[in-house]
Amino acid sequence: MAKKDKKELVVIGAGPGGYAAAFHAADLGIKVTLIDPEVNPGGVCLYRGCIPSKALLHLSKTKEEAMQASKWGMKFEEPKIDIKKVAGWKEKVVKKLTEGLGQLSKARNVEYIQGKAKFTGKHELEVTDNKGKISGLSFEKVIIATGSSAVGLPELEIDHEKIWDATDALELKEIPKKMLVVGGGYIGLELGSVYAALGTKVSIAEMTPGFLPGTDRDLVKVFEKNEAFKNVFFETKVEKVKITKKGVKVSLKGKKEEQSKKFDCVLVAVGRKPNTQNLGLKELGISADEKGFLKVDDKRRTKLDHVFAIGDITGEPMLAHKASYEGRIAAEVIVGKKGASYDPKVIPAIVFTNPELAWCGLTEEEAKEKNKNVKVVKFPWSASGRAAAIGENTGLTKLLIDEETEVILGGAVAGKNAGSLIPEIALAIEMGSTASDLSLTIHPHPTLSETIMESAELFYGGATHYKKA
Amino acid sequence: MAKEIKIPQISEGVDTAVISEILVSEGDKIEEDQSVISVETDKATAEVPATSGGTIKEIKVSEGDEVNVGDVIIILEDDDEDSEEKEEEETDKETISEKKKEDSEKDEEESDSEENKKDESKSKEKDEEPEEDEDEDEDADEDEKDRDEKKKSKDTKSKKDKDTDEAPSKDVYASPGVRRLARELGVNIKEISGSGESGRITEKDVKEYQEGGSKKSSSGQAKLPDFSKWGAVETKPLNSIKKTTAKNVLASWQSIPHVFQFGEADISGVETYIEDHNEKVEKAGGKLTFTAILTKIVATALHKFPTFNASIDMDKEEMILKKYVHINIAVATEDGLLVPVIKNADQKSIKDLSVEISEIAEKAREQKLSKEDMEGGNFSISNLGGIGGTNFTPIVYHPQVAILGISRATTKPVYIDGKFEPRSILPLSLSYDHRLIDGADGAGFMNWLVKALEDPYEALLG
Repeated sequence: MAKKDKKELVVIGAGPGGYAAAFHAADLGIKVTLIDPEVNPGGVCLYRGCIPSKALLHLSKTKEEAMQASKWGMKFEEPKIDIKKVAGWKEKVVKKLTEGLGQLSKARNVEYIQGKAKFTGKHELEVTDNKGKISGLSFEKVIIATGSSAVGLPELEIDHEKIWDATDALELKEIPKKMLVVGGGYIGLELGSVYAALGTKVSIAEMTPGFLPGTDRDLVKVFEKNEAFKNVFFETKVEKVKITKKGVKVSLKGKKEEQSKKFDCVLVAVGRKPNTQNLGLKELGISADEKGFLKVDDKRRTKLDHVFAIGDITGEPMLAHKASYEGRIAAEVIVGKKGASYDPKVIPAIVFTNPELAWCGLTEEEAKEKNKNVKVVKFPWSASGRAAAIGENTGLTKLLIDEETEVILGGAVAGKNAGSLIPEIALAIEMGSTASDLSLTIHPHPTLSETIMESAELFYGGATHYKKA
Repeated sequence: MAKEIKIPQISEGVDTAVISEILVSEGDKIEEDQSVISVETDKATAEVPATSGGTIKEIKVSEGDEVNVGDVIIILEDDDEDSEEKEEEETDKETISEKKKEDSEKDEEESDSEENKKDESKSKEKDEEPEEDEDEDEDADEDEKDRDEKKKSKDTKSKKDKDTDEAPSKDVYASPGVRRLARELGVNIKEISGSGESGRITEKDVKEYQEGGSKKSSSGQAKLPDFSKWGAVETKPLNSIKKTTAKNVLASWQSIPHVFQFGEADISGVETYIEDHNEKVEKAGGKLTFTAILTKIVATALHKFPTFNASIDMDKEEMILKKYVHINIAVATEDGLLVPVIKNADQKSIKDLSVEISEIAEKAREQKLSKEDMEGGNFSISNLGGIGGTNFTPIVYHPQVAILGISRATTKPVYIDGKFEPRSILPLSLSYDHRLIDGADGAGFMNWLVKALEDPYEALLG
């Protein structure tokens, strides 16, 4: 291998982790090579994940709000859905953003190589482009940011025809009449909501006794009140699947009974696995753990000093914003910034259903487990003026506060725009804020953000708009 | 299940030790209770026995390593390989932090792989995918560069590992920016007490802490000049005895307001006594020394002057008077100063004391003292008479309040009954803690000692 054109830094994978790392490293003066199979940066998040799903969820939200308005005297007709146009609009959003990233990449003089990378040595890798042409290169340092992909189930092999993964669902090829979503996690709920709004009768099968395992039940309840889905099967496993010409026959085995149901298609959303196979890790000299994750230290360094890993491949939670944060840290470590370290107190999580659910930091379930001396204060949105004005009175805002120090340890919001409200709580926790810091910050009226302030007021006994009976 | 041999609780209060010698090697068959390694703690050397027998699969430490109580030092082979692997996996899952630690150890092993073949094979065994000798297929220049890089990053790494162990900043109330600033300044944010609400640490707190801390190094000493500017120098690491002594005497000197009281005793009588009785003591296995006699006299004096057999507690504003008389005897060894304790010295005969002091001094010189052998003393005696000098001022051994120093006796003319007589005169120095003991007490204690040495019956009369 020609050593003279050794790349200073190679970033493998141009998702929100990889491109954040590459851009930041370039801004810090490093010559960066970014390798990804897509024509532009973006990764699953922009091409087949966060962004397209949010575009579609926006439509479903628009429809639901319009329908809801009939109760208040503004009646709309049942919407006509032009699926091709919807898909086209979604594509346009994706294209705009990924092309934008391509430009940002060029503007930073990042060398972008389209193809799949595989290590062939400690400082070497080969790139296979879309035509199958292989070329080699060597590098001094590397950041692995290859992300994750959907896992199937042994009895539910994804054929992309009638058994879909999330990518298929986002392609919007058709609007099935009846759809089964396997998995009641955030991806299943979000995509299930999209299709429900498009007119599909969506059923959900979930192995555990409720939606979003691990999430506080009071938040999930707020979502459940919306009754977005036709049928919900909890503690249910997919036993057998028979694909017919017309559709899919699925045997669902619940706790007590087994039933057979027919659907036009099945969407499998049971989880994701890190993309660490076929990467040539052995040639590089590191190995993934039994779950496929790469171990890294707080500098995002693997056991090899010149190899960094970020994003979904470093472990849960597999979230874009965690990956971006890690990417920037890794870039800073590489240029020798001493203070750079993976050090978040909280990583906010959001489920973009209607209503949205969002939380960060300590959860009630964790607080119970850890026996923490925590006071939980909950402010129901029925007491919020703004929530009433937008017909959103099932929502909930809560804070978990250290009883002794009054420091905010966790928080959650369920309701419209919860995702845009949660960062305030995240910032409060990162800053080590106390309940009084939140209650003494003037929040604008009338907004949903007041529910955070009033939750903090509750800690001290009473909120202006809420008195516990 | 794989059997592991761990560092036991060597003695109370001792958590770390340095591996001074490995007595077995990989592949050896060992029996339960057989000594496998010897460790050096602050003040003692101990051999660690195997907790179970078997064939040694792996030795996880090297000589010179610092280990903590509970660290695995040896893994024994087992018949059932499968269950062993399973268990390893389980423990892996159980404690991530442990795994992290192990990993970092592994890293270090790898960096040292060329120096230590044994280590290399070890890391190979551990990994599922055996690692190639990393630098093998690179040319020599690359090799060297790599090693340099590694060395550098290893330095930062060990520091970082410490950080991760000590500062998962989850429980630190400081903003992300302040947390980063602390890392930039090399300050462990956990050591800072915040001035903000609920102890929140501000940027100012971090900077002030750093300014306060950076003038002095970690040991608190002022920065040293580069001595090699003026001539050749050689540096040697301090052994654990020296390190402990340095720490202890500095703490004593800084916390105790010392007063020094001198005295001279005519010990011509004592010398005759030793000559007369040495044979008897030698038969018992000891040697009748002046230190033994002095220990007995001091033990008696401590009954008479209880504030010398005491400690002071300024937090509670009280003195602690001890109803037992344990006396430390300073022993010079090749590696430094050790101060084993003679327990209940007041209840022992001079003969017994002679035997015990000879034994314990020997033990000290062989570095076989246990922690118990060094704990619980109330008063110390340092006898430099065998070496020389006219007087010296020993440092009180905190939390004791007094120490007696003995120098070499010399023959001096003493005016007795109208004429000069050659007498053996012993210089005594008493250092004491002025917080608890006043000058009058100090002089009184010294007077009593001198009197007892010159005329024991008179002293014992009261």
